[in-house]
Amino acid sequence: MTTDRELDEILAEIGREHRAIDAPKTLEAALHAEAGRRKDSIGARKLRLRWTSAVAAILLAAIATSGAIWQLRNAHKHQYRHVRSVSTPQAMPEQPLASAQIAARNNAAATASARTRSAGTDRPRFHEASTNRATGNSLDEFVPLPVSEGLPPAAELSVVRIKLRGSDLRQYGLEAPADAVAQTMLAEFVVGEDGLPRAIRIVR
Amino acid sequence: MGMFKRLWRRRLDGELSDGDLHQAALAGSGEAMAALYRRHGGLVYRFTLQMSRNDAVAEEITQEVFLALLTQIDRFDAARGELSTWLCGIARHQLWKHLQRSEVASAFDEENAAELEFSGDGPAELLLRREAVAAVRAGMDELPATLREVVILCSLEEMSYEQAAQVLSVPVGTVRSRLHRAKARLAGLLRGEVGSMRRKPR
Repeated sequence: MTTDRELDEILAEIGREHRAIDAPKTLEAALHAEAGRRKDSIGARKLRLRWTSAVAAILLAAIATSGAIWQLRNAHKHQYRHVRSVSTPQAMPEQPLASAQIAARNNAAATASARTRSAGTDRPRFHEASTNRATGNSLDEFVPLPVSEGLPPAAELSVVRIKLRGSDLRQYGLEAPADAVAQTMLAEFVVGEDGLPRAIRIVR
Repeated sequence: MGMFKRLWRRRLDGELSDGDLHQAALAGSGEAMAALYRRHGGLVYRFTLQMSRNDAVAEEITQEVFLALLTQIDRFDAARGELSTWLCGIARHQLWKHLQRSEVASAFDEENAAELEFSGDGPAELLLRREAVAAVRAGMDELPATLREVVILCSLEEMSYEQAAQVLSVPVGTVRSRLHRAKARLAGLLRGEVGSMRRKPR
């Protein structure tokens, strides 16, 4: 028991001596400097981050701008692209159509127009054309535009491919079904030398 | 040192909490880092010195521990314990790595021991007491590291069992039992030493 108390006293004594030991002063200066270096490196890192952000922002802006330009140019191309084929979307002659072809086109337009009239409607519906296509009669062929009725036969025809909305068909005397009004579609117009459209074909 | 600097240093040393100082040090304040070192450096250094018995090793580990404050910021959680015990825990981790590398059982350097201040009895008693202190010191060095570190933390640094448990990452019961075992060994050593001293002819 005495030894235990003695031991505690001795340990307390060693402890007092032990706690009198201070940490080396040299380390204080080294750590002070290290924290300062860290501050510098934090500053440098922040600066690097700012530069990187600025460069990234510039790059993004450039990409966005070029993308927008590309889209605009593309849209423009689609809107007013002359198709180099009369019967199919793939090819259309550079020169005006041959007179025999024009006559055939005019006949087709007149026949289709007459067929539409005989069906008792002045404004053919787009879905009728679709139905015709399903039966193999129409949309591969051009549907005469009601607004072209009464126009003199054209001596020179060209085909213009246009991207339009279903609702735009109304101005040509056609009416798109309700579900297609808001849809964008690609159509081909047969345009006379007077610039007036004679017939239409929905490409897609 | 200017007056403002002295005042600032006094504020850093006394008024600001460990957390505030730590944040300031992370933001690059050398003064805050130095204040943290002044506050806790002694504990870390003494612990590593007592365990390694090597000034250079103790200094190196102490520096590593404080640098960890700057680099391992996410590892310190103020809600889980005090900064002093966290620092001591890091020191212990580094120390164990060092001990495993070197596997040196260092001996106590008698020459570095300061003179004991013991008042009361005559020269014979004083001599006896000095012998006993030296025996306990030597006995501490002979203890396995797991027992020695408990003695250093609880008996020399006067840490509570809970604080020591945090440093050592063991349950409080383990600290208590290790301290008991360590003291029993030292007491046995002391009994033998004192007994032999008392048997010596004067």
